[in-house]
Amino acid sequence: MAENLNDRLKELLDTQKAMEKKKKEASDAELTKVLTFYIGEQVYGIEIPYVIEIIEVPPITGVPGVPSYIKGIINVRSKIVPVVDIRIRFGKEEIAYTDRTCIIIVSTGDVSVGLIVDSVADVISVTEKHVSRTPDVTEVNSNKFIKSILEMNDGIKLVLDVSKLIDEHASEEIR
Amino acid sequence: MAKVEAGMESMLEMYIFETNTLLEQLDEILLRTEDANVFSTEDINEIFRIMHTIKGSSAMMGFENLQQLAHKGEDMFFVIREKPEIAKDAHFVYELIFEVSDLYKAEIEYIQTSSDDEFTPTDFSKTFKKLMDATERLKAMEGGEAPAQIAPEAASAPTAPATGTQSGTMTVRVFFEDGCKMENLRAFLLLTKIKEEADVIFCEPHDVESNADSARDIVENGFFVTFRGFDGNNDAVLKTIEGAVNVQSYEIIDEAAVAPAPPAEKAEAPAEAVQQQPVQSEAAPAPAPAKAASAPAKTAESNAVTKAQEDIKKANGGQKQSLISVNLAKLDTLHDIVGEIITTESMVIANPDLDGLELESFSKAARQLRKLTDELQDTVMSIRMVPLAGVFQKMGRIVRDMKIKLNKDAELVLEGENTEVDKSIVDNLNDPLMHLVRNCMDHGIESDVQQRIAADKPEKATVKLSARHSAGEVIITVSDDGAGIDCNKVLAKAAKNGLLTKPESEYTEKEIQNMILLPGFSTNDVVTEYSGRGVGMDVVKSNIEQCGGTLSVESEQGKGTRFIIRIPLTLAIVEGMKLRVGPTIFTVPISSIKESLMVANNQLLNDTKQGEMIMIRGVCYPILRLHEKFKIETEVTNLEEGILLLVDVGGKNVCLFADRLIGEQPVVVKPFPKYLSQYNIKGEGLSGCTVMGDGTISLIIDVNNLISTS
Repeated sequence: MAENLNDRLKELLDTQKAMEKKKKEASDAELTKVLTFYIGEQVYGIEIPYVIEIIEVPPITGVPGVPSYIKGIINVRSKIVPVVDIRIRFGKEEIAYTDRTCIIIVSTGDVSVGLIVDSVADVISVTEKHVSRTPDVTEVNSNKFIKSILEMNDGIKLVLDVSKLIDEHASEEIR
Repeated sequence: MAKVEAGMESMLEMYIFETNTLLEQLDEILLRTEDANVFSTEDINEIFRIMHTIKGSSAMMGFENLQQLAHKGEDMFFVIREKPEIAKDAHFVYELIFEVSDLYKAEIEYIQTSSDDEFTPTDFSKTFKKLMDATERLKAMEGGEAPAQIAPEAASAPTAPATGTQSGTMTVRVFFEDGCKMENLRAFLLLTKIKEEADVIFCEPHDVESNADSARDIVENGFFVTFRGFDGNNDAVLKTIEGAVNVQSYEIIDEAAVAPAPPAEKAEAPAEAVQQQPVQSEAAPAPAPAKAASAPAKTAESNAVTKAQEDIKKANGGQKQSLISVNLAKLDTLHDIVGEIITTESMVIANPDLDGLELESFSKAARQLRKLTDELQDTVMSIRMVPLAGVFQKMGRIVRDMKIKLNKDAELVLEGENTEVDKSIVDNLNDPLMHLVRNCMDHGIESDVQQRIAADKPEKATVKLSARHSAGEVIITVSDDGAGIDCNKVLAKAAKNGLLTKPESEYTEKEIQNMILLPGFSTNDVVTEYSGRGVGMDVVKSNIEQCGGTLSVESEQGKGTRFIIRIPLTLAIVEGMKLRVGPTIFTVPISSIKESLMVANNQLLNDTKQGEMIMIRGVCYPILRLHEKFKIETEVTNLEEGILLLVDVGGKNVCLFADRLIGEQPVVVKPFPKYLSQYNIKGEGLSGCTVMGDGTISLIIDVNNLISTS
């Protein structure tokens, strides 16, 4: 499934490339900043406004009756925050946590969630010429968490749609 | 159009709060007087005061329709005030005032919920018409005996008869501060204040509350008001005027010269000296007829009584001062902080660095601190506690309305309405209680009086609301003495709706009764205005569960039905026992623990399904292994190595098996994060979580749910 996702995305990317080239002349003005992180070899990103903080992995208290990708709850300065393992969420195999493993706390207004990632990479500035939007193929399940695709010099980065990641799967899960 | 003028938004919340409170008071008075079928002078004055305040504040906020509505209502009561007897058996009066009250509530809710752009004031002209008709009708009933003064218009008409010649009246010209804006409304507010102390006979301009142009008049000429102090106490009125907001100056104008004269000519009237005489001279004859009728004793010793009244007023004033209304959000914050303090306190006192140290004075200081934080916590909790009376009394209205609509004779009995519950719970109780009361009225009570007579019950049915405290819980019951639940009917209906999960014969009576709480269940054949749409009981149940409570039904066929709501007294802080299961720490509320024990092998038994049981002092209890229930890996799986905790909830006893006990600690209950609310964690038997002294999280076990799900 993971390979699927990447293959699929690359495919879609190719078809878009031609179009994107025209766009490249577009302004170099900074659109937003994106926090990038690794899941395996792939670089993902989250727009900075959603990011509250990055913390080490504290002891996680498991909670019964939830899907396996919700690892449990943690205490972040007296706030209880649920944590989601992005690896499991995206259908990749689970690996043991290391020193490099981080939790990125993201928030959409009133809902906060911690995302467990392999390691945090960088904060990059995104300008319009980097962005190629995802095609609107909502039936591709894993695609719907991707907000946009960044084509940078050092490779492709997938920007996650945080609000979908937090909210949308809620309805999916209830079904 | 915008709802309120710019600059008034901040007042809106206050306005809504105040008006709602007043409307509730109004309902209460009306229910009481309707029962007694007589208006006492006090009640009428109170209704007047309410209508007036609403009128004034609505005008202030610029809700013209609401202001008009109150005004018309006031007109009607003006007639009643003069002659309270005519309202006897005049049910249309009650219907109308209740209607007005409902319209108000609806409009206020509309104001609250609608956005600025879509807001258009509701047109109440139909109700105006009704109110005017009713006023006319009352006047007609009153017959020819009405003195001219009684017509509402007369009060404001410049030709007010006879007032000028009566002693004890006084005319005052009031000037407001320069540039204080909205002079007409300020005048109106002043007028309202004066009316608390005196009969206002005349004022000029007379249409201050509805005519914004009158503001200019007031700025130019001042605001004239002629009044007669209750029991001749004009001094008090003058003090009121003096003390009123934005009043810059006032002058007293002799009454004889003034009353019939147009305002412009009053300007040169003499001041202070004139005022003394009428005040002194009027002692006996002056008091208004209505006042005299209601309290003849007062006229005899007017001075003494006036003094007493003043004292009472002062006392009341003092009382008002000692109450403040606080934004609930602030209390929530305070509450959170106290929670943090308690957590931090545990962090300090149970700090691992202190292990094994002999610290006598530290322990002493720690005990002192614990005592104080306990007190702090109790106080904060008590701030948030409000009596249930408010919610209960609202139900009176529902019973009244349904009584008429359904043609069933019933009365509402309240018990323990002073029981105090956390504010957030009270807010959540309103809807469920309303549903339950409606249910009792609609389904519970027999529709045919003959059935009641045949069953040897009083013709008048009783719906009872009661509340009491019991071991950290508040138990609220809604009961009726109606027909009770017909188990066969329920079963048949459940079968029809496909709600049965086992053969009919296997259901116990209690199970069947509780079926009515299932979603999509309604036994009423006919859908009525009030209930029977199939939504309801399950919604009630989930509403109550949302605030941590439970709902159950008890019924005896032919005798009646009882709905029992159990709600934790405080949601936030509980005394908990911490247990370890593998890496996880659970907290069990101490209130549900009976005892903890180590077991010996010979006490253990197995039932036919290989369920484990333990025999304690001749009684058998099932054992629930927490590590199995929550699928936690632990090394302690032998019952003899771990510990058993005998818990008791609502008569059900179970032994919980854990690795070991850690200790007792007050814990601050935090709800699970919103993100997890989509999963049924509560159903798994966990009610929340708490942060412990060392920063780790402990899961709080809800024994009730734990038992019912396993």
